[in-house]
Amino acid sequence: MAILLNKKTKILIQGITGKEGQRAAQAMIEYGSNVVGGVRPGKAGEEVLGKPVFNTVQDAVDALGPIDISVIYVPPFAAKGAIMEAIDAGIPVINTIIERVPIKDTAICLEAAKKKGVQLIGPSSLGFIAPGIGRVGVVGGQKQQVEEIYTPGSIGIISRSGGMTNEIAWQVKKAGLGQSTAVHVGGDLLMGTTYADLLIQFEKDEQTKAVIIFGEHGGSYEFEIAELIEQKKFTKPLAIYIGGKFASSLPEGMNIGHAGAIVEKGKGVVEKEAALKKVGVMIANTYEELVTLIKPYAN
Amino acid sequence: MNLYEFEGKQLFKDAGIATPKGVVVRREDDIAVAYNSIGGDVVVKAQVLSGKRGKNGGIVFCRTVEEVETAVAQLFAAEIRNQHVAFVLIEQKIDISSEAYLSITYDSTARQPVLVYSAEGGMDIEDVSEDKIQKIPLSITQETIDTDIPFANELWQCFLQNDCRVAEINPLVTTSAGEHVAADAKIALDDDAFYRHEEWSTFEPRTMMGRPPTEREIAVQEIDKGEKYYQGTAGKYIEMDGDIAIIFSGGGASIAAMDALMQAGLKPANYTEYSGNPPREKVAALAKIVLQKPGLRGLWMAGAVANFTNVKETFQGIVDALDEVKPAYPIVVRRAGPFDAAGMALLKECAERNDLDIVMFGKEVSVGETVQTLIEKVNA
Repeated sequence: MAILLNKKTKILIQGITGKEGQRAAQAMIEYGSNVVGGVRPGKAGEEVLGKPVFNTVQDAVDALGPIDISVIYVPPFAAKGAIMEAIDAGIPVINTIIERVPIKDTAICLEAAKKKGVQLIGPSSLGFIAPGIGRVGVVGGQKQQVEEIYTPGSIGIISRSGGMTNEIAWQVKKAGLGQSTAVHVGGDLLMGTTYADLLIQFEKDEQTKAVIIFGEHGGSYEFEIAELIEQKKFTKPLAIYIGGKFASSLPEGMNIGHAGAIVEKGKGVVEKEAALKKVGVMIANTYEELVTLIKPYAN
Repeated sequence: MNLYEFEGKQLFKDAGIATPKGVVVRREDDIAVAYNSIGGDVVVKAQVLSGKRGKNGGIVFCRTVEEVETAVAQLFAAEIRNQHVAFVLIEQKIDISSEAYLSITYDSTARQPVLVYSAEGGMDIEDVSEDKIQKIPLSITQETIDTDIPFANELWQCFLQNDCRVAEINPLVTTSAGEHVAADAKIALDDDAFYRHEEWSTFEPRTMMGRPPTEREIAVQEIDKGEKYYQGTAGKYIEMDGDIAIIFSGGGASIAAMDALMQAGLKPANYTEYSGNPPREKVAALAKIVLQKPGLRGLWMAGAVANFTNVKETFQGIVDALDEVKPAYPIVVRRAGPFDAAGMALLKECAERNDLDIVMFGKEVSVGETVQTLIEKVNA
């Protein structure tokens, strides 16, 4: 069944006429995703790969009926406008692929999305893939590669890194397992969809038997996982790798002032791992270990 | 980008936050002239990007021009917590009655801005107990903050208008006369908002690493110069003191690979990562800088299974660099993704014509596993 996506999920691409947007449209369609159209102001009436282009998201909704997911491929300076347009048009899930969206713009979109109950994924998220069903964005790459790496199965994957989404999925496949859904949540400071948000979705998904997470140092999203498990809102086996231990050997000065230290007090990699261990999460020392740890729980 | 105190204070002033009268000097400036524009009791402060400056000899109190000249000379000669001092700020000494703490930043858990205030501020703020620290969550769309905390609203405007990641006043001084003054300023700007802040282009280049950039780091920055949006796609280069050259692809893979390298007991000569889909010339320019660092014992090139980076095209750039540098040290490669077979073939031909000691792996072996090959090669 997978999360986020089924065969009928109607996908709209904002920025479909650009180079990245066209490539994404191609990647999605050839993997079986139900791309219904795209948006580019001033280009209404044109077509991309046989899909109609509209001036606005609202025009697309008026013509095509309710849209399930909009994918954002506009330049960073236009991202806030595009996301807000999709929120206003009532689209329930918005995946922002584009990188380098200013934090303030992300914060504005997050606030608007929260008010309307919209799920934002990203920014800086390559998208996600439900093997055998479809994909949003270009996760997996070319057709031949995506088919080699992804196969339907019981493991849910969440990754802060785009390349590692693929790498982990490949390790899963190599171990003789398959994936239910693999989601790249993006590496931004403010994440639209967090680990915890997805774990709740994976909990409800019958196909998913266990989940693995590729995390990175920074942020405090891992603590939400511990809370979730304590509250029994996520009960499936979970293995996590938190990368970036080497960062402590880098020259100091990446942080400025005390604000970060006060807000994120006691939230380093060590504290994160301790909090997760306490609630029974399996901690991997290397990313390769993730699959070894989760394999006994795959069925 | 992190701002120096004097730059942050300028933004404070623009937002209506009072700061002490001050003047910035560089090495070549006439210190006496600068001091005389203020006069009387002053504080001489090294301008460095990391904190704990006061505890590390970076702040000197002076009463005469001679004392100021000596202090400035000492600060320019010193390094404060390994940081080069490029500027010194000479400021009127303020008459301190009490010191508070005020900042605004993003709370990544709540996913919104947060104001942090403590009536007890100053150097030891991180030791102030939690119950004395007030945290007020802010809506990104609220225009004002309903509070008596001095400068809270001015700081909020400063934060919003300048696309700050962090804006901090510590200490926020109350003088004996009862006036509020920002005695220090710590501001971190959100680099991704550069396109709506033309004024940022006037800030002098700086490193975030707490030391002056090395020659090689500067050379790598040059590769991306002139690029607006795609800065950094041609690679990051942080020089380190080990002997294994590093060329990684992809942020996440580079983090996992660095951890694996350190766990294996090897020492990186640099941290380098390129991602996106950088063109051949940029990869070549980056690789040449990495490969030519003196004293290398090996090169590790690793990446995950790429989604869309063209492995052939990026490897073409690596081959250009290898053809020129012809390293004698062993090379271990692990890479997969679009056009990886063609990329590996190019690399193989290059190795043959230059007689390189190279081992190549695709996705049949994981990134971490190839560290063992690297260890064997380097120690052979």
